[in-house]
Amino acid sequence: MTNTLSARDEEAALEELHRLRCTDGLPVVIPTAERVNRMVLASGLEADMMLGTMGPGHGIATVEKVAIAAVMAGCLPDYMPVVIAAVKAVIDPDFDLTEMQATTHCTAPLIIVNGPARHTCGPIASGTGALGPGHRANATIGRALRLTMINIGKARPGSSDMALLGHPGKFTFCLAEDEESSPFTPLHVSRGFDAGDSVVTVLGSEAPHSVIYAGDGDDPNSYKSLLELLAMGLANPPSNNGTLTGGCATVVLNPEHSAILHGAGLTREDIAQELYQRSFVEASIVKRLFSQFAGPDPQDRMAFKGPEQILILQAGGSGVYSMVMPSWCVGAHANSAVSVKVEADMFCEIPGLSGD
Amino acid sequence: MRDGINLAKLGIPSVALVTEEFWAQGNFVAESLGMPGAPRVQLPHPVAGTGAENMTTVADSVAQEILAALEASSD
Repeated sequence: MTNTLSARDEEAALEELHRLRCTDGLPVVIPTAERVNRMVLASGLEADMMLGTMGPGHGIATVEKVAIAAVMAGCLPDYMPVVIAAVKAVIDPDFDLTEMQATTHCTAPLIIVNGPARHTCGPIASGTGALGPGHRANATIGRALRLTMINIGKARPGSSDMALLGHPGKFTFCLAEDEESSPFTPLHVSRGFDAGDSVVTVLGSEAPHSVIYAGDGDDPNSYKSLLELLAMGLANPPSNNGTLTGGCATVVLNPEHSAILHGAGLTREDIAQELYQRSFVEASIVKRLFSQFAGPDPQDRMAFKGPEQILILQAGGSGVYSMVMPSWCVGAHANSAVSVKVEADMFCEIPGLSGD
Repeated sequence: MRDGINLAKLGIPSVALVTEEFWAQGNFVAESLGMPGAPRVQLPHPVAGTGAENMTTVADSVAQEILAALEASSD
């Protein structure tokens, strides 16, 4: 059982949690034993079950400690299977959590949810404004992961989280793929899971960068312009991908842009390949701006080591904007994306308790 | 800091060079990895990108301290 704090009332408890640097700076729901027990119960897992350790502080993530974070973040018990899966993902050694938490880069874990859990553990928004405010599941699932990184991983700004500025996704950064309106196979299927599986994919990511493109119905090569613009965003020269090469990055296509690419006969894999080939920093720029890396005869510098490093999903509302998210791309595993199946079978629905 | 500690755990004398801006993080890492006394030498911040002349000056200013820390850690 986790050690407990005491306070005269919830207001005092909140101030104490702020003082102890256990919050993200915003008010939290006080994780009383009753609330935490309910969250643990909803997970269907044992409270003391260990999921792994979280760096850089090497704290042990038990189900109970994750439940504390979920309560503090404002999660409904329904969300717990997704929160657990997200924690498992960042604990995976391929994720390089210790290095990611400690870096001076702004990177934050982007959580992408696929499969039925988008509905049963949510709803987790995938449409208009999915990464913005107003979607409780998105907001609190991402925040719960961050609170585990603060309180179990012990990442605190200036002493163990050394991000020079950070970005707002470090508060919360979670969305679902809009599988229902996407013409492509879902992201998790492309990563080897069954369509009926629920899967959380997490990768370190910069904030979204907008890519505007209106399309041209009279131009059969319109899709090539879109691909080039997306690739320019991904291979943005001063980004780490553009500078260091490699590291998974994300492309979030809006419905129109998906339709343009699908209309050109491209599959998800085709798009990744096309973007990979187009994502490079031209030799002239390398020579002019990156003399310390360039060598005597600079070549075009690729932003990725292969098409599999470009994750593509459809989300967001209708319009002219898609998003690209370059990444940190450092660490022993170079900013790998990690996918974990959501174990919702264990989930225990508690009549009358959800949301109390 | 982490690299220095990992080398020390392999039995290789090591000293971590930590700029003053990262000193608190160095202390945190040393504590969290169970080697709070891991040898480290403080550098001014920043060092990277400050040019060869400044780096030489910094190196001269800490060279003896690094050698002393290495000798102590190899005892």
